[in-house]
Amino acid sequence: MIQKGPAKKVTIWVNEDTRHHMEKLWSAVFEYLRHKKVAGASVTRTQVSFGDRKLIHRGDAAETPEYSYRIEFIETAERVDEVLPTLYDMMIDGLIEVQDTTIVKHVNKSKPSSDSRTPLERRQGEAKIMRVFFGERDKWHGEPLYDAIVKRLRMMDIAGATVYRGILGYGAKGEPHRQHLLHISEDLPIVVSVIDSVEKIAEAAAVVEEMLEDGLIAVSDVDIIRLVHGKRNEAPDAESKG
Amino acid sequence: MPNQRAKLLRLHLSEGDQYEGRPLLEAILDKCRELGMSGATVFRGLEGYGETAAIHRYHVTRHDQPIMIMIIEQPEALSRLIPIVEDMMDTGLIAMSDVEVKRIQKSQSGHE
Repeated sequence: MIQKGPAKKVTIWVNEDTRHHMEKLWSAVFEYLRHKKVAGASVTRTQVSFGDRKLIHRGDAAETPEYSYRIEFIETAERVDEVLPTLYDMMIDGLIEVQDTTIVKHVNKSKPSSDSRTPLERRQGEAKIMRVFFGERDKWHGEPLYDAIVKRLRMMDIAGATVYRGILGYGAKGEPHRQHLLHISEDLPIVVSVIDSVEKIAEAAAVVEEMLEDGLIAVSDVDIIRLVHGKRNEAPDAESKG
Repeated sequence: MPNQRAKLLRLHLSEGDQYEGRPLLEAILDKCRELGMSGATVFRGLEGYGETAAIHRYHVTRHDQPIMIMIIEQPEALSRLIPIVEDMMDTGLIAMSDVEVKRIQKSQSGHE
């Protein structure tokens, strides 16, 4: 099961006429990957290409179209190590390329529980609360900063974030001496409040610091009594802790 | 820049609270500025109850939502503020917690 984070992407280039025993090589490679149950693989047929021999492979040639194929799959480094020797053997003509990649999102609609986050692990105990102070009109690449922060935190699997709008205030934007201190209706204070484990808050604080032009980040200790996710049939221990 | 240790002060009061004929929350905010607090933010809750809930129901029919004022400052500065605010507040709650703060001010640090 591949999860968010570092992974390997393997790309194999092969011509249509290259064979592996009786079969076409691209199809043999694909079947092999299926047999090894790699997380997923796609085969794409290229329109025009050339390789080592500088022959142009044209898919649109009127007679005897000659395609070349690209087989791609993404897996963990361990799985790639496992299948690579066989692929190496199979490839009598073509190219295999492996690159480092990062899986940003991997979701499966039919198996939502396989989500990479593990809410049970960080449901109780010592944690941190981070409060980020800035102004409602602050922007991040054209979108409201509070929106951008919440989206980014979601992407990072932070347990939760809440945006509060103050009704008035001063100082959140580091202008302690300005004359008209109450920013009423002009630029109301915003606080984004985030609770998660010590490590996750440290990660979140670093990211928010990067996004924040002018503001304040405040972190304090907090005890999570219970973090409940809305999965009704989640686990029996949810009741035992109730 | 290392994180700075500070205190987070929360004042819980009611929107209808008055001090010397004006809204208490504004009076407190003014006092914060006067005493040089580096910032204060006022939040209005949607609903709530506390010590004062019953009393306020008699006096005020509107503007009686819970108010929370949040101030982050050094403990020394807060110790100047707290006794004064305590006097101004009729009923309510003052809570304080430890906090680590980092002020971000990229536009003034001059690298952009």
